[in-house]
Amino acid sequence: MTAVSLRGIGKAYGGDGARTFAALRDVDLDGEVHDFLVITGRSGCGKTTLLNIATGLATPTSGIVTVGGVDIWSISDAERSSLRNRTMGFVFQFPSLIPGLTLEQNVMLPLEFSHEEHVDARERARDLLDMVGLGERLAALPRELSAGQQQRVVIARALINRPTLLLADEPSSDLDEQTEAEIMEIFRRIHAEQALTVMMVTHTRKLVAFGTRHLEMADGTVREVAASEGSSDPA
Amino acid sequence: MVLSTVIISRGGQESLRLARERLGADVVVVPRGAVTGVEGALLLGNATNSYMPRGVVGSIQAVPGVAIASPQLYLTSMANSSCCSVSLMFMYAFDPATDFTVEPWLKEKLGHDLAIGQAVGGSDVFVPEGDDKIKLYGYDFDLVGNLEPTGTNLDQTLFMTFPTAYEMQEISQTEAKMGLPVLLDSVSSVMVKANPNADRDEVARAISEAIPEVQAVPAAELFGSYGDQISGVLRTLVVIVVLTVALSLALMAVVFWMSVHDRSRQIGVLRALGATQRVVLLAYMTEAALLALAGGLVGAILAAVAMYLFHDLLVSALGFTIMLPSLVSLIGLIIVGLLIALAVAAAAALVPALRASRQEPAVSMRE
Repeated sequence: MTAVSLRGIGKAYGGDGARTFAALRDVDLDGEVHDFLVITGRSGCGKTTLLNIATGLATPTSGIVTVGGVDIWSISDAERSSLRNRTMGFVFQFPSLIPGLTLEQNVMLPLEFSHEEHVDARERARDLLDMVGLGERLAALPRELSAGQQQRVVIARALINRPTLLLADEPSSDLDEQTEAEIMEIFRRIHAEQALTVMMVTHTRKLVAFGTRHLEMADGTVREVAASEGSSDPA
Repeated sequence: MVLSTVIISRGGQESLRLARERLGADVVVVPRGAVTGVEGALLLGNATNSYMPRGVVGSIQAVPGVAIASPQLYLTSMANSSCCSVSLMFMYAFDPATDFTVEPWLKEKLGHDLAIGQAVGGSDVFVPEGDDKIKLYGYDFDLVGNLEPTGTNLDQTLFMTFPTAYEMQEISQTEAKMGLPVLLDSVSSVMVKANPNADRDEVARAISEAIPEVQAVPAAELFGSYGDQISGVLRTLVVIVVLTVALSLALMAVVFWMSVHDRSRQIGVLRALGATQRVVLLAYMTEAALLALAGGLVGAILAAVAMYLFHDLLVSALGFTIMLPSLVSLIGLIIVGLLIALAVAAAAALVPALRASRQEPAVSMRE
């Protein structure tokens, strides 16, 4: 069953004319339920743009994106926001916790934007913080944590709405090797235990091992790398 | 700034209106050329040395259209008197037989005329603690009541009858360090009530024409120079207020633009987590409203406190009296001030907030 589908996606910057830069060219991609897609490629090859378009954070110049069978660019911005809120979880490359909120409040934040009542919100936030090893730091503020700990909280936040699609943009690029391994172990565990599709972009080749599928990007195009083939990505 | 301007302009106009109302006259007759002096005496307690012979009262009474002519005598202001909550005190003698300024109040509140040695005070006049009388120029007064406040010099005035004033003048010659001039046959002004069907301007003109040494002013024109002064100050203040509001608007717009720019990535994250454009817009507008309310409230309270604390200083600097608003009016003015602050903040925040909410989340996260 397809969780996310991209058909003929193009993205150009700079308007019409000679100065136009094509970040994505006619990209086709299907992410099945329980896939763990690892998308690799050099910096600037369009990985983040692909992720943003797949989640409705950026508008494609051409093509169709469907998430859970819904064409996300045929619905209103409010409906798209609601769809993101209900079905997607995000882990960003940069620090993305809200500085003035405690860890517990940060984790519960996506529920504030949902129109449903979540009676078990606090309990769920605590369970998720427990899962990432920060159950004792509920009232702490983000600035009291290391970068790796903050990224764990972001993962907990990404799971609070029980998403079907977990999207990670270079989630370990700012972390040391040991912390990176810990973060990736959390991703592996989430993928093993929950029926969700993970889509991760990274320039780190060794992370390919955590995924079930490997896609390689170059010059705005995407190519699936067979398990037997290995990667041609020099990064 | 807005609140101070409104208090000064409204307070100034209100104080003139109340002063005219308190005098209750249709026409005020003063020695020729002494209008400004008498206005200054009544409003600010400035000393006036212009007098006219008491005989003019009869001449005025004889002018067609005049119903009542009541003389008044203004005595030297006294500085730093212990019986007054303000620094200057004014003394004012009236004729109970014809007076319509103080007498109606006396009849209503006291039920009798003032006896010799008795006086009524403006709202700021009181008997010093530990005494049972007010002593002025060696003369002891019984304070038998206080009038309602007007925000003018009338609030710090001691009202007495002519016989009491004459007795005080006489005693002051021997009991006071500096005696009062004896003005047995002089008056400072004559308050005129016109017949109900008489044209007040006509009556004033007729008095001025009939008696060359006096000048008659319709009450509506009394304190005209002060009204002009208030209008002048108001015009200046309005220009300052407009410039201040425009500057505030520009500064707040810059601050909100910077705030949107600084928090662009945060906005992008919120949008990714499911915040709609409306949520982002409302968040910014709510923040602007809270800042405006907090700033507006602090500003309004500071302005109100400053107006009360520095009232005397302001009056002497501006040269006209200011009737401070009642608590209810003040609260109303503060609410209006807060609404203006809200409107300015909303205008300043709207465009940055719209940009923040409408920007593509991916672009917000990249900035």
